[in-house]
Amino acid sequence: MSPTATCRRILHVVIAATGLTVLVSANAQQPSAGLPKPKAPANPVHSIVLPQYAPEIADGPNKEIYQRNCLTCHTARYVSMQPRFSKTVWQSEVKKMVDAYGAPIPEADQALIVEYLVAVKGIEAPTAPTAPTK
Amino acid sequence: METMPTGSSGRLGRRRFVSMLASLGGLAAVGNAFGSALAFYSNPESATGPTKSAPFQMARYPQKTELILLTDRPPQLETPLRYFQTDLTPNDAFFVRWHLSGIPTTVDLRTFRLEVSGHVRKLLSLSLKDLQSKFEPLSLVALAQCAGNSRSLFEPKVPGGQWGNGAMGNARWKGARLKDVLDTAGVLPGAVQVGLHGLDVAPMPKTPPFEKSLQIDHARDGDVMIAYEMNGEPLPMLNGFPLRLIVPGWYATYWVKALSSITVLDQPLKTFWMDKAYRIADNADANEEPQHLSAVTVPINRMAVHSIFVRPEPDQQLRAGQPYELAGVANDGVEGIRRVEISQDGGQTWSDATLGADLGKYSWRRWQAKWTPPAKGSYRLMVRATNAAGETQRTAQWNRSGYQRDVIEHLDVVAI
Repeated sequence: MSPTATCRRILHVVIAATGLTVLVSANAQQPSAGLPKPKAPANPVHSIVLPQYAPEIADGPNKEIYQRNCLTCHTARYVSMQPRFSKTVWQSEVKKMVDAYGAPIPEADQALIVEYLVAVKGIEAPTAPTAPTK
Repeated sequence: METMPTGSSGRLGRRRFVSMLASLGGLAAVGNAFGSALAFYSNPESATGPTKSAPFQMARYPQKTELILLTDRPPQLETPLRYFQTDLTPNDAFFVRWHLSGIPTTVDLRTFRLEVSGHVRKLLSLSLKDLQSKFEPLSLVALAQCAGNSRSLFEPKVPGGQWGNGAMGNARWKGARLKDVLDTAGVLPGAVQVGLHGLDVAPMPKTPPFEKSLQIDHARDGDVMIAYEMNGEPLPMLNGFPLRLIVPGWYATYWVKALSSITVLDQPLKTFWMDKAYRIADNADANEEPQHLSAVTVPINRMAVHSIFVRPEPDQQLRAGQPYELAGVANDGVEGIRRVEISQDGGQTWSDATLGADLGKYSWRRWQAKWTPPAKGSYRLMVRATNAAGETQRTAQWNRSGYQRDVIEHLDVVAI
């Protein structure tokens, strides 16, 4: 959210809260006065701020190459949430990112990324994610 | 309602730019989109190996309560089962699934427009207010369910979002019929499809923008709608504010969020998202074998018959000799659920559950069944549903992308 939008949002909330207070106190004095409902102007700009839930990135060979190429576009959770898979599956996933999703990963890096994925989420990998690949 | 002279081609029109934070680009994996090099699923290790995923974390996103975090960028958030104990799923607990991390985080209603273009007599440019005031509102209850809901239950495991049973939610949607909007634009003879596009943006120049298509007759069936309300409120931003396409009975991949462009096409839409992704084996149960993948695939479509336990939850312990109320939900696509049966002995015998309120054929149906575990020990509970057309569930199912799960659910519980 831009600073302006943030200010507008906060202002909106303040106006709404203030209006409510006025209504409650007025009603307490004149329960049947039928005061017009305070109407805060609807804010036409709707904004949210996305929180950060970036995960720890498992250590493994070529970790930096994985980070540089893959995490520009998506979180490391795309890997960390997966079950373990064979090298063939990981090769296919990397190929899909390049061929289908247009990830500009240099050819030389693709095999290195597969190596990382096999080390941290490979079916043949030892349980310790830091272990070097065979 | 602004109208403009026609003249644009049948290509998907460029959506109006809406101010959007510089969300980092998103390159999201969809369930295995490619059918190549698939022999690896036959690897016997994949069924027996150390396949346990990392434990799930909870996360709180704007306008949302604490949900199960699958991925943070783009967000994929799963609804905990306990929210499925009411007919309508609260908006703040409703699951979230985006494909591309360039998701809309700011929408200015002064400039937001839904553009209708392509093979039509006149172009339309509709504000939210236009949609709300110039078309007769339609209100219906419909289940939104991710094509990959329950994917984590497939064996052997398949890549993709490792959803449990919480990638769905039931809501009352209010909006304008897509048919009425198309009629206002005036569909020209020869139209075959509509292309649908939202405000999310692809992160890389060569990343295919997320877009889907529906056949023109389906788009004009009178139930497909452009929703501006969800359970009586504007949609949460993460569920598609300000407009979301509702395709009742069909998997939510078609329910384009933050819908900003509708293009009437005289040729089928060519896009990765229809041609490669979200495809299933060309049979009723989206079923295939790891060693024999279906050579022919079709775009996923109507939801299959599906039922789950909401109570008890996995790992919950019950008391022997004490009555317990089993509960859950069941859904199908466009017929409505007619019957739900429960087994307490691993499928040898079945008894009818009591069905909850009927909220229409596109809604899920809640069910309940009383059960007293007769003695201490382990039990395998099972649930199966049947729809109004007599379609029911399978005892086994697998496909390469983990889509359209309709296998009879079992739940192992311990009575103490």
